[in-house]
Amino acid sequence: MTPEPAARLRTARLVVRWVRFYTRGLPAAIADRRVEEIEADLQDQIADERANGTSDARIALGIGSRLVRGLAADAAWRRRHIAASGRMSTPVFRSVARVSLVAAFILLLPFVAMQVTDQVVWSRFDFLVAGALLLGTGLLLELAARKARHHSYRAAAVVAIGAVFLLVWLNLAVGIIGEPGEPANALYVGVLAVGLGGAVTARFRPAGMARAALATALAQALVAVVALLTGKAQAPVSSVSEVVGLNGLFVALFIVSAALFWHAASRPPARAR
Amino acid sequence: MPRRKPGTLVPLETEILEVALSLLRSGVATFHGFGLASTMRDRRGARSLTAHGTLYKALSRLEELGLLASRWEDAAAVDGRPRRRLYELTAQGARAAEQATADRVVPRSPRIAAEPA
Repeated sequence: MTPEPAARLRTARLVVRWVRFYTRGLPAAIADRRVEEIEADLQDQIADERANGTSDARIALGIGSRLVRGLAADAAWRRRHIAASGRMSTPVFRSVARVSLVAAFILLLPFVAMQVTDQVVWSRFDFLVAGALLLGTGLLLELAARKARHHSYRAAAVVAIGAVFLLVWLNLAVGIIGEPGEPANALYVGVLAVGLGGAVTARFRPAGMARAALATALAQALVAVVALLTGKAQAPVSSVSEVVGLNGLFVALFIVSAALFWHAASRPPARAR
Repeated sequence: MPRRKPGTLVPLETEILEVALSLLRSGVATFHGFGLASTMRDRRGARSLTAHGTLYKALSRLEELGLLASRWEDAAAVDGRPRRRLYELTAQGARAAEQATADRVVPRSPRIAAEPA
């Protein structure tokens, strides 16, 4: 038997894993039938396209595209069978499915753009990192929405998580200080470490989270000061106003988050979960 | 997205019935998921195959409506690969497919059942 090249095999496995995931909790006969049918379909597609001389990358792309385009239908199919079987979809499944759908649709944009223009070039690694970042951010937002006992706490978490997402995305894309790849941008890892360390130390309690967000804002401001003092902020790559403006935006977001956490700490919870 | 009216078929479901009827008329009584997706792609002159979720959700609904019937293929025919689910048009499905083809002259949503009162 010819060994399957890694790309198409990985993509086919990903599809099967997804099918097993969204058929979880359904009656065995329905779930097994769906899994077997998709496995046969994948096998047939791979065999057919190989026979037609399609490249491995193209086959993997085709399988991945069929997976992504069918996500909404998969979710609808599951909802219908869950309703028919009288079972309840678990909150965790709903959260993961919702976040996966949103992340997949966002990633579809560069994927489609790559098919129509040469101006957008994303490697597989780019998709992987962006997917992990989107999934991580989405799951953190879901967690905050579920566990927060106070509206202000929820809003504070959304602002902080959103700011962290933007900070990471910007740094991965072009960097905030200097040319892309400028080592000074590594200082932002320290900003994230301050925020994460503060949140863990505070055990995510509102007053502690307010202090952690404030410390993160200070760390962010400190990075800007270091960049300015060491002459890293130079036009036209990243001017003083760009460095001050971008870092100022993140400082403001973390201060807003701190204020909201502080508000949550000073009031009794609106409801308990 | 607007909800479909009870007893109506969406364009993909109609297309599946029409392809199934055309296969039946050419002597192919049964078909499987990938074969169907491949035939529909060729008929449309498209580059991509219908998505897994969309295709199998439509097949599942057509079966529930009694327009298609399905069974697993014989173990003897499998030859080491995953067994296929084979679909075939029912008599009611064939009538719906003929109706859908005729309706393409005067387009409207094909009805396969009366709306509940």
